[in-house]
Amino acid sequence: MSLRHHLHRLSIDDVELILAVTSKLAAPFDLTTMLAEVVEAAKHVLHAERGSVWLYDAATDEMVLRIATGIAPVRVPAGVGFLGACARERRILNIPDCYADERFNPEVDLASGYRTRCMLTLPLVDHKDAFVGAMQVLNKIDGVFDQKDESLAVVLAAQCAVAIQRTHMTEAAIEGEKLRHELETARRVQMSTLPAAMPMVAGYDFHGMSRPAEQTGGDTFDLAVIGQDVLVVLGDATGHGIAPALSVTQMQAMLRMAFRLGADLDTAFLATNNQLAETMADDRFITAFVGLLDTARHRVRFHSGGQAPILHFRAEAGACTRSNPTTFPLAAMPLKSLRPGAAFDLAPGDVLALLSDGIFEYCNAAYEQFGERRVEQVIAEHRGLPMAALASRLLTAVGEFADGAPQEDDITIVLVKREAAAHESFARTFDSLPALVAFTSAFFARHSVNRALLNTLDLALEELFTNMVKYSPGGAPQVDVDIATVAGGVEVVLTDYDVDFFDVTRVPDADVNLPIEQRRPGGLGLHLIRRMLDSLDYRYSEAERRSQTWFRMNAAESPGSGGATPREGPDAHD
Amino acid sequence: MLTIDGKGPGVVALAGRLDAAESPRAQAALDAVHGIVNLDCTGLEYISSAGLGVLLKTQKRLLAANGKLRLTGVNRQLQDIFMYSGFDQILEIEPVR
Repeated sequence: MSLRHHLHRLSIDDVELILAVTSKLAAPFDLTTMLAEVVEAAKHVLHAERGSVWLYDAATDEMVLRIATGIAPVRVPAGVGFLGACARERRILNIPDCYADERFNPEVDLASGYRTRCMLTLPLVDHKDAFVGAMQVLNKIDGVFDQKDESLAVVLAAQCAVAIQRTHMTEAAIEGEKLRHELETARRVQMSTLPAAMPMVAGYDFHGMSRPAEQTGGDTFDLAVIGQDVLVVLGDATGHGIAPALSVTQMQAMLRMAFRLGADLDTAFLATNNQLAETMADDRFITAFVGLLDTARHRVRFHSGGQAPILHFRAEAGACTRSNPTTFPLAAMPLKSLRPGAAFDLAPGDVLALLSDGIFEYCNAAYEQFGERRVEQVIAEHRGLPMAALASRLLTAVGEFADGAPQEDDITIVLVKREAAAHESFARTFDSLPALVAFTSAFFARHSVNRALLNTLDLALEELFTNMVKYSPGGAPQVDVDIATVAGGVEVVLTDYDVDFFDVTRVPDADVNLPIEQRRPGGLGLHLIRRMLDSLDYRYSEAERRSQTWFRMNAAESPGSGGATPREGPDAHD
Repeated sequence: MLTIDGKGPGVVALAGRLDAAESPRAQAALDAVHGIVNLDCTGLEYISSAGLGVLLKTQKRLLAANGKLRLTGVNRQLQDIFMYSGFDQILEIEPVR
């Protein structure tokens, strides 16, 4: 029975009535109000005493009477009676005498005291052709329902199904908006607990960052100075949504609190695990690396609950070694004891790299994952950069690999670098110069330091060293040279024993504007390096008769000049 | 390591590093030149104050006999050093093309 088949028999008045109902139903009702409107309209249009709209509850396979004028809500099995027949046959049932029909269930009448004579039952079918409920109209005031009533009822039922669907969608949208708002709040909480500033520890470079995916993931990290140690945490809770975001935030807070209270690594890990196991849902867990870096002994001790790989870039080898998890993920189950953690040492130039799945498993359009090998390549290639820049390189590499594929998971990066350093002693003679050059060149190569700095560094080193050779012939047989990377540059210390005080920073500048006949080569070296270094410092110990000359160069300031940018001294043009 | 190459009358090519260790050898070579001398610095990567001293002494001697040093192929970093030492005022310097 098609709608069109019935429509052509409707009068203008009938159509106007229907349109009035349609217009009413277009208003943004909640479901209860909307159903009441439908029933009132049906009663009015069909001259009926009562009406009701049953909604199908797929979860219980019941028909639920949400509203019926004068009757309390009722639930009946979906397959029985007129409703069952209507649902199965998806067509209108016009029953002129209900009590004469064996399918009629008189219990509703018994409960209400109302007597049903005749009845129309119509299926409500949504746009996906799913049965969502049924409309019933009872007892025509002046007789029984005829074919014209059937036509009107069919049109009303169609309107009713659309309205039910629209109401459901509106409710879902409101629910979605609420959820989105809650997600945003959870996200803000999650992000606000991440450390705002990186630990400042001499000889180390720390960087941590987290870039959330559209849907909340459950990443966190922590980098915090705890006494002589630095706490290093990377955590990734399973799933998406509010729960994981809040779980990792909770874990991070518990760990930090435990360590601040003086708990050792095992106790903090165990207690946090047991607390999370108690509060988190049974199917949820957090993979996490929890480590303490002793910055004096350069030793990382850690537990890794399912967090892998733990990448340790070793400068000496120029490659990464990987550590496996020491135990299973946090919150998986309460534990009475813990297997021993693991440890490794950071040699000069080494990098500890912790990255969440969001990097390793970032997929491009071809469903290929970014993977560990690419991560290791980027680290090896850019190990000479400051860790913040290395993190950017990793993100750039992932972005280029993804080629527009969206970020599906949180991305979190924690990098810890022990700055590269080298020490060597050089005989107090000009003949040491080739060895000095070889020393700096090898250091730059091994630690991938920006070679644009090398010539200026060599110039400074030569000028300072040859000064020591020329002016302190009675000093110790050897001069010590220490070189180390610092974020974005290099730092050098020359240590000279058994020498008199001579502050290279206070030597007057050479007059570089004299006519040639008055020029002398002396003093030019210090004059030059004071203009080409970022900083130059001198310290002297009377007790040890030891001088230390210290200088630093940064690459960031010299993009085009092939070295540190020359500085204008105040009297350079006097 | 410094290489000194006498390419013909009035042309000397320096390549490598002109530092304190190499400057005595460079001085000895430049003590032998006369007149207007083209010093080809295309391969010269590095110069320190010791090297500047060699150029200063040579220039003074040549100027006294109506000669001079003319430096060609000077790289950017060396130009900086010549500028900050004021040597751009006492030497004729032609930057790298």
